[in-house]
Amino acid sequence: MEFIGKCLLVETLEKKILTVGDLHFGFEEALNRGGVFVSRKMYQETIEYLERVFEKCGKVDEVVLLGDVKHVFGEVIRQEWDEVLGILNYLKEKVGKVVIVKGNHDKIVEPIARRAGVETKDYYVAGELCFLHGDRDFIENYDKKMKCWILGHGHPAVKISSGVKVEKFKCFLVGEFKKKKIVVVPSFFDYSIGSDPRESDLGFAWPFNFKNFEVLVVQDESLKVLNFGKLKKIR
Amino acid sequence: MTQTLKLMRPYGSEEVKGLLNPLVREWFFSKFKDFSVTQLYGVKAINDRKNILVSAPTGGTKTLTAFLSILNYLVELALKEELEDKIYAVYCSPLKALSNDIYVNLVRPLEEIREMAAKKGMKMQNIRIGLRTGDTSVSERAKMARKVPHIFVTTPETLAIVLTTSKFVEKLSMLEFIIVDEIHALMNKRGVYLSLTLERLNEQSTIEPVRIGLSATISPLEEIARFLVGNDRDCLIADVKLVKEIEIDMDFPGKEILDAWTSTSHRELYDMLDEIIEKYRTTLIFTNTRAATERVVHHLKEQFPGKYVGLIGAHHSSMSKDRRFEIENMLREGKLKAVVSSTSLELGIDIGSIDFVVLLTSPKGSARALQRIGRAGHQLHSNPKGMFIVLDRDDMVECGVLMKEMIEKKIDRAEIPKNALDVLAQQIYGMAISKVWDVEKMIDTIRKSYCYKELTREDFFAVVSYLAGDYALEHRNVYAKIWFDPVEKKIGKKGKMARVIYMTNLGTIPDESHITVVIATPADKKGQHVGMVDEGFLERMKRGDVFVLGGQKYQFLYSRGMKAFVKSDVSKNPTIPSWFSEQLPLTFDVALEIGKFRKLLRERVNKKQEAVEFIQSYLYCNRRIAEEIYNYFYEQASFSEIPDEKTIVVEKFKDEKEYLLFHSMYGRRVNDALSRAYGFAAARLKMRDVELGIGDNGFFIAGESLDENKILKWVKSKDLKEILKETIERTDVLKRRFRHCAGRSLMILRSYRGREKSAGKQQVASEFLYRAVKKISNEFPILREARREVMEDLMDVKNAEQVLRWIESGKVKFKVIRTPIVSPFGLGLNMTGRMDLIRMEDRAKFLRRMHELHLKAISNRI
Repeated sequence: MEFIGKCLLVETLEKKILTVGDLHFGFEEALNRGGVFVSRKMYQETIEYLERVFEKCGKVDEVVLLGDVKHVFGEVIRQEWDEVLGILNYLKEKVGKVVIVKGNHDKIVEPIARRAGVETKDYYVAGELCFLHGDRDFIENYDKKMKCWILGHGHPAVKISSGVKVEKFKCFLVGEFKKKKIVVVPSFFDYSIGSDPRESDLGFAWPFNFKNFEVLVVQDESLKVLNFGKLKKIR
Repeated sequence: MTQTLKLMRPYGSEEVKGLLNPLVREWFFSKFKDFSVTQLYGVKAINDRKNILVSAPTGGTKTLTAFLSILNYLVELALKEELEDKIYAVYCSPLKALSNDIYVNLVRPLEEIREMAAKKGMKMQNIRIGLRTGDTSVSERAKMARKVPHIFVTTPETLAIVLTTSKFVEKLSMLEFIIVDEIHALMNKRGVYLSLTLERLNEQSTIEPVRIGLSATISPLEEIARFLVGNDRDCLIADVKLVKEIEIDMDFPGKEILDAWTSTSHRELYDMLDEIIEKYRTTLIFTNTRAATERVVHHLKEQFPGKYVGLIGAHHSSMSKDRRFEIENMLREGKLKAVVSSTSLELGIDIGSIDFVVLLTSPKGSARALQRIGRAGHQLHSNPKGMFIVLDRDDMVECGVLMKEMIEKKIDRAEIPKNALDVLAQQIYGMAISKVWDVEKMIDTIRKSYCYKELTREDFFAVVSYLAGDYALEHRNVYAKIWFDPVEKKIGKKGKMARVIYMTNLGTIPDESHITVVIATPADKKGQHVGMVDEGFLERMKRGDVFVLGGQKYQFLYSRGMKAFVKSDVSKNPTIPSWFSEQLPLTFDVALEIGKFRKLLRERVNKKQEAVEFIQSYLYCNRRIAEEIYNYFYEQASFSEIPDEKTIVVEKFKDEKEYLLFHSMYGRRVNDALSRAYGFAAARLKMRDVELGIGDNGFFIAGESLDENKILKWVKSKDLKEILKETIERTDVLKRRFRHCAGRSLMILRSYRGREKSAGKQQVASEFLYRAVKKISNEFPILREARREVMEDLMDVKNAEQVLRWIESGKVKFKVIRTPIVSPFGLGLNMTGRMDLIRMEDRAKFLRRMHELHLKAISNRI
């Protein structure tokens, strides 16, 4: 398991899988529709970031998108159609196989996914790993063969304070639940850093005890992460 | 060139009388014995169609001054049956609660004149008055569009809306008079906005309307006159002086001022207030903050159970409109014994028979102080009467100097923002909605406004580019609000929704949402409301953070809905910059006067008797106050040194960190700028963040080690703006101001497609927008405007540069003194705690440093 910036690279016996957290394409147009006139930068920035990630991790067999690929509930808006389709085509060209684990924002992602020839699933199992969004629980995932759950959804972030100033960073949370290893992947989209589990409920379907989770902080520019130890130890 | 001419003396009563139509004359003298001085100044000038600014103390007869000539003119026309179907006069006031004033000064006089005419069997056309504000119903608005009022009464915002309605514009095309009331309340973006609206009004009128400005005591009148009339028009100024004497005194509760914060003298404070309230018919108590207002009402009720039920009220801007109206009405009807207000009752609404004003803590400026005390003795012949009650020693000195200024009738200068690009954006949009413009004509019209006289073509076209969507090429249509044809040189609106968007989002006052801070522990204070913080401020707080509010420290525990629960009696130092501040800044002019007073007293500090007498005569204060002030200065002189207008004492001392405390008596707006410059100098030496504390009397910087020699030399007046631009870049205050600017320039619409956005939502949206805009261009016009607002409106960069030039020329000198702890003069400042950071260390570096610290604690790895 390797942390590459905001992305997670995992290896099973057979394959290397790159995992990407919540993308929320369409966010900008949704803002525009609400009367907030931001310009469209997400798509270009996403591609640029992923290029760097691919460069670093070499050959990858599959990409798993951890859900909330699109942003708007209940409909598909223009930006979602263009950009989700764009990113799926881009990824397929890079790695061949792309899987979308459906999130609470992608109830109707199929029309786009099918057009791109990409599978959508409620959860996706590869060897001992299980990828799922995190808002819903599935009885099958408790199977003993599954050693590790990889989740999106929570947009984890951590506030780090020197006593003088406070800054918030995206982070991975790694811990245990019901004897399974839990890895929460930070959201990919940059408009929001995320929520600190010490202050807000991340909205998971399970009562994780995040205090005992390890915090791996994502640096803004470099693709490295820094291990800050257990959340409860962080000031 | 605009020429302003000060009227040296009022016109004669007979001359003014001679101007009036017999009917109007008869009406006037059936109501009044003679013209007021204000009327003698103003009525003839308006009759002669001269632009005029009438400045008179509150309690004058300004509104009728403005209307008398106009009424006279309209009555004459009506009697001759020559009244046309058009708007003759626009009356514009920033106050929303206009109806009462208008009834008294316009509706009733007209009714009475009409009755008199009827009795005499004279035929007279009906003169219509139309009141339209944001609250006017659709049906009333429609009625007004059908039957146009001859006198149109409105607010700056509604006036701008009306200018996009073609029916109304037609009726305004031969407008003869514009009255702007309460100009002194428009020295802000609202005023800037109005100045452009007036130019638009002018531009589409075939005749040049006379402009009449009405203002309370304010300075400098020449500048305000220019603001009223715009560029290249002349203006008369009637400076009607207050002939009444001001009766003002000062005191503090308890035996010694140092004890004024203890609980016994706390009781004594309310005993004092109680005594005053008993003595007078109606007392108005001014505090500076909403929280203090609530507190005073609460304690009066508590300390005197039953006594004040139904007889005392609070009045401040975060109360509901209905509740405020209720209080105002009760005041007018004489039902209240006392009312406590923050700043909301300073302004013009008629509030009846107040006969005593208490200024609880400093009003921070002499114009404001005069305005407040002018609320007493509103009747023509009684003197304004009031009293300062001070609670600490800095306050005492400050109020002493303010008292001197009031008695000597000196007024500090107000300033109007210039070249505000957000307001410009909104107005260009409005202009484009009304019609297709020739670009040069548009620029000319805008530059006629005093606030945009020096607008550059670059700035103008940058705003046009933003509005035309040029900053987001690939999605131009989404953002474009106007089109600009560079070949034909024309500008017009874009989109069918333009007018609706403009109407529902227009204005300059940002929405704010506040969180009430409530004490959760200790038990004896549980449930007390201690004040309000901005919603954004709460967002940055985490459990356990200590912050300062109203001079007290609180520890944040948790929040529920719109309430933040805190622990009081905290000894820890603040951990979070408290940018949010309800405190009014001390004006530069008064601060300089305090500096002067300090110098004069410093020269006498070794001779107690002489010094005390000097204080008494100089500040017009009693001996008790004079002795307390003397003791304060004496202590400072023995411990460190008295800073004054020529000496900035810089004290260096060590606590947990090293401190440099600058006794720079220039008011908070200047100190804000200076502290950031010196803080930046300190931070860049070590490439580490530096903490700042900013107050009216000075500022401090705190860091691990501070080399004062290098720091003091490094800051130069010519670099100040550049340094500030750098230092404010990552502050929360810039983001906050950006939100306001983004709202004004319609980058964030608070109302869109029938949906309203709460202040909180706007805040979140502006975070996204801020990030996006910075990626587009660091020189994006609205981002630049936010910076300008921070540097020029929030801070006072101009006077800060002046101070630095004084330092460079040797007129003002630094004197560095090492002290074991903070000196008496610095105590108040030091207690306000840390206010902000100069961020030198970037996020990446900060993260790595924090990681190294954590590594030591980490043993287990994944």
